[in-house]
Amino acid sequence: MPDPAAPAISGGHGARPHGEHLATASLIPARDRDQVRVLVVDPEEGMREGIRRILERRGCMVQSAPDGEAALRALSECPADVALVPLSSHGTDGSALTEQILRRSGGRTVVVITSARASVESAVEVTRQGAYDFLVKPFSPEALVYAVEHAAQEGRLIREREKYLSEVAGERTLSRELINSMHEGVVVFNIRREPVLMNPRAELFLGTHFREGMSLADAFSDLDVSAAVEAVLESSQESPECRLVPLVIGERRLQCSISPLLRDGEAGGAIVILRDVTDTWKAEQDKNRFVSMVAHELKSPLSAIINYLNVILTGMFDDNPAKVREMLERCKVRGEALLELVRDLLYINSREVGKVDRTIETLDLAAVLASQLEFFKVQADKRRIALALEAPPGPCLVKADRGDLDRIFMNLINNGIKYNRDRGSLRLVITENGADWHVAVTDTGIGMSEAEQASLFQEFYRVKSTKTSGISGTGLGLATVRRVLSGYNGRVTVQSRPDAGSTFTVVFPREAG
Amino acid sequence: MARILIVDDDLDLLEGQKMFLEKKGYAVQTALTIEDGLARARESAPDMVIADLMMAHYDSGFVFCKKVREIPGLEKVPILMQTAAPRKMGFTFDAGSTPGREWMKVDEVLTKPVPLEHLLGKIEQYLSAKARDA
Repeated sequence: MPDPAAPAISGGHGARPHGEHLATASLIPARDRDQVRVLVVDPEEGMREGIRRILERRGCMVQSAPDGEAALRALSECPADVALVPLSSHGTDGSALTEQILRRSGGRTVVVITSARASVESAVEVTRQGAYDFLVKPFSPEALVYAVEHAAQEGRLIREREKYLSEVAGERTLSRELINSMHEGVVVFNIRREPVLMNPRAELFLGTHFREGMSLADAFSDLDVSAAVEAVLESSQESPECRLVPLVIGERRLQCSISPLLRDGEAGGAIVILRDVTDTWKAEQDKNRFVSMVAHELKSPLSAIINYLNVILTGMFDDNPAKVREMLERCKVRGEALLELVRDLLYINSREVGKVDRTIETLDLAAVLASQLEFFKVQADKRRIALALEAPPGPCLVKADRGDLDRIFMNLINNGIKYNRDRGSLRLVITENGADWHVAVTDTGIGMSEAEQASLFQEFYRVKSTKTSGISGTGLGLATVRRVLSGYNGRVTVQSRPDAGSTFTVVFPREAG
Repeated sequence: MARILIVDDDLDLLEGQKMFLEKKGYAVQTALTIEDGLARARESAPDMVIADLMMAHYDSGFVFCKKVREIPGLEKVPILMQTAAPRKMGFTFDAGSTPGREWMKVDEVLTKPVPLEHLLGKIEQYLSAKARDA
């Protein structure tokens, strides 16, 4: 409501039609929003004070200044939302002051010109200078309040727009930073098939630098990728096309995922995401290779068995039962070896998928080895191979799963017997070495050349020579030993000389007793 | 009596094929390694060679075949390769394809286990072609 106590300021209304609206009560609700700060510039003290009273009653914070110089000083101390500036008075040029206020406040102070002259020219002039409104003296308190409120509202709009613009700019920066920080390469194409964005990762993958006006072919020389980009650009929202295309660039294997950038149901562009899948690809290759090797290793003994059976079935040896029996014996040996291979493969697989139940306990390595040697005694005795174990006094403690220790040492003991000579020996020697136990497994067998030793711990590698031709094995034993040991931070090494024998040394962490 | 040399790192396979082919009237020599196989090829100049592909290395058979062809008198000896390797090992060549075989200098690649009658048929086929050419 208009304040009945408010003194009339020379009466009359402002130059603008809105000055005639008197619904001012709700214009400046006290304190429920930021208080409006007003600077009143006027040479006449009575005028300044009159305006101050009216505006303060409406909850404004008012400061006043008699001239331009004082006005700017006041503003530097306390910024204003609205400034009432006379068009011209003694020593103050209204338009110059307006310009200065606007410049210093960065446009945040909204200027309302007060003038004794109501003319279109002056209105145009101050508007050109950047003033927001125009009040013609004499004006009523309502017209003043209305003009100030409108100016304050304009100020709020200006601040909101600034905030919005800075938020938009911030979001753009954020999106850009997000895209630039991605581990994946990102390339965006517009509808004209021109790249419009390329993050650093994509530049690295594609070995190129983004520049304005580059073409699809500049970005992707691969025809499959460019064809997929074309197809995606042709697609609509009803049936958005997404394509996955593999791409090889040098040593790197990439997977390109191409999807449309939809705008109003049509593809307005295409997004290409590049993932480096080199490691996965390599692992897959290794796996394929392993499967091929397994297939070969399974087929070899089966071929030998089937071949013998076919020979027997021809009936050509029906008159020689001893020969037939010999062939059947070999079939049995090869069949058993095949079974052993399948067992080893299943064991390796179960270790890979972590399905082996392991019970880690404190064990005496010397006791474990002694019981393993006991197990092999019959096999060794058949070929008069002497077994021996040397260990330091007291228990040789380790923390391990008993099954794992069996895998490691029974493989080595078994090899030490298989590849030994008749009447040879196999010695196991445990020694303490820093934080580890060293277990040396030494045989007096056929030994190996350095070239043979190099590949020894690889899956399916078997030393093949006339000396080893009658000995069956899966080619997985030592590879398994190495794998199991690596789970304990242990390792295995070999020293060997052809025809002299081999020493396999297992290094296993000691457990404090 | 036609002489056949079989090179394979599988002793049992060698034994089985040797017994069968000897009963069929061939003189069969066997070798477990390519070194041994080459020595025998030089000494006895076989009428036909049968070799395994994957021995000490995955391409041992290939190396062996090339070296056999370099031996004077054996430039045109028929060579059959038999392998348990899957058709596509993912290695450097495809043993099942014609260009692969030409590159490997072998006449034919057979997949293990080769049925005995099939093996015999192949041997007879190549030996008769050789006799005709001579």
